[in-house]
Amino acid sequence: MWEIRRYPALWLLPALLPVALMTLYPVAYALWTSLHSVMLLFPGEPFVGLDNYLRVIQSNYFQDALTNSLVFTAAAAPLVVVLGTLIALFLRRRFFGVQVVRSIVLLPWVLPGAISAVLWIWVFHPSFGVLNGLLRDLHLIEGSIGWLTSPRLAFVSVVVAHVWTQIPFTVVLVMAALAAINPETLEAAAIDCKSSWRRFWYVIFPEIKAMIVVLIVYNALTAFTSYDLVYAMTGGGPGTATTLLSFQIWRESFSMYDFGAGSAVAFIVVLISAVLILAITRALPSDLFGSE
Amino acid sequence: MAGRANPWTTGLFAALILLFTGGPVLLSLLGSLIPDRVLLDQGKSLFAEGLNFDGYRYVFTGELPQAYQAENANRAMISDAARQVPASLVNSGIIALSAMVLNILLGAPAAFLFARYLFPGKKLSFLFLILSPLVPAVALVTPIYIMLQSMGLLGTRTGIILVHTARALPFTVLILSVFFRKMPAELFEAATLDHCSRFQAFWRIALPLALPSIGATGLFAFMLSYSEYMFAMVLSGDAGARPVSVVMAALARNTDVSWSLLNTAIFIAIVPTLVLVVLVWRFVVEGLLSGSVKG
Repeated sequence: MWEIRRYPALWLLPALLPVALMTLYPVAYALWTSLHSVMLLFPGEPFVGLDNYLRVIQSNYFQDALTNSLVFTAAAAPLVVVLGTLIALFLRRRFFGVQVVRSIVLLPWVLPGAISAVLWIWVFHPSFGVLNGLLRDLHLIEGSIGWLTSPRLAFVSVVVAHVWTQIPFTVVLVMAALAAINPETLEAAAIDCKSSWRRFWYVIFPEIKAMIVVLIVYNALTAFTSYDLVYAMTGGGPGTATTLLSFQIWRESFSMYDFGAGSAVAFIVVLISAVLILAITRALPSDLFGSE
Repeated sequence: MAGRANPWTTGLFAALILLFTGGPVLLSLLGSLIPDRVLLDQGKSLFAEGLNFDGYRYVFTGELPQAYQAENANRAMISDAARQVPASLVNSGIIALSAMVLNILLGAPAAFLFARYLFPGKKLSFLFLILSPLVPAVALVTPIYIMLQSMGLLGTRTGIILVHTARALPFTVLILSVFFRKMPAELFEAATLDHCSRFQAFWRIALPLALPSIGATGLFAFMLSYSEYMFAMVLSGDAGARPVSVVMAALARNTDVSWSLLNTAIFIAIVPTLVLVVLVWRFVVEGLLSGSVKG
């Protein structure tokens, strides 16, 4: 680490300014909106203090949506990172056709959320879905399983679809982090550690830990603020079984034209995300976020 | 690493990975080649009527698929949105490539500084960068719409490029600084001894070594932009600047649209991107595995 005495504006501002432009004013605007009654159907924008927040927190859907979002995040984020890391470790091997597998793994990435939703609806659809068809052909079931119509199964289905969309990114970054490990470290480890599990845990994992923490944070955020895939697959249903918090922001703002309440949900989401990030980085210390 | 594993387990793992990641897309290819009346009929085998390319012909030439002319079928099953797919791919390509290039150009110097230097205001700048993506996109859409309107950038690709670049930049800086930090310090110490300026250390040493990692990060910025929907939808306005995510969503939300036509559009949208991504990825993987990032 070298010291620079003055703020290196020339190096940093090109990155900071665009981000500031697209966050500071919009956030200020949203904060203002959340403290006022802004409804398209009623003219005037009176100051209402924390009314919007209270109304959101006390409403019926809020607890359901919050619980769903938290469970969704707790299920999806670790699953993505664990599966992604396993696949990345596996794809470093050399075997016939590994090039093809490495490319196919990226497929879910090139699909926008709405399209992934269509593909997974086709897999899970109760009557003409591929999964039920397969189970029927194997004579494992008689009628059909309501993958998207029973609350529990619908939740599992959307988690599977979400994990599918997020895997490639994690694989790419873990592979990149694995490749940055000093080859001599690995050679020494191959001689010292006989079990591949110990080799992973004591040698490889510490080297990629910073990246894993970044990925857990990133995936927790993505899961907590995801809406389009789940919305397109189930519309939040059946009932409120798959209604997520960020979908609620969208619904308040754009389908009910209650921008005040929409912004209030948004700030609640920001607050919870900040707590999530803090909790993750505390639980998994890494020099990345430290002051050093 | 271990290359002597049991070939059977290797094969099994490879097959499972292929099935999970590629399966749904393969289904879509199949669906695009089979008429709806076969797809939706549980009793019929999928290949009862063979494969046909009517959907593809419609997207590129506008000629209606036979099935919908013959059976006085619902006209709503054919959507014009399917015909916008090729043009929207061009839009998406321009937008995502620009966002990718801008991310690397603007983000790499900052990442290098965060990884290697101490300076006043470092903590605050870094905190700002990692906290900014916390705000959900939905909450930012309205104010950003108003802002771009006043700049006259609504309905243009430039506006979308600006937003996408800014949304991806925090991650670009974060990820690249992880890579820059991994580089051995001795390399840079030698550089300071030789009186290399900071720019030279960055340009001559850090950048060339990090090239595959930069490729991976650029790929990330590209994909973030390519698949982003919320801003693209609100900011693109009418057909002119619409990227593929918006067109495909319009098609997917239309519950009347023919499944086989929808799958055709999906597949046409996938292919060029997949080719591009695989090419970049090949470069990244080869760079990474051949050990050009020697520790």
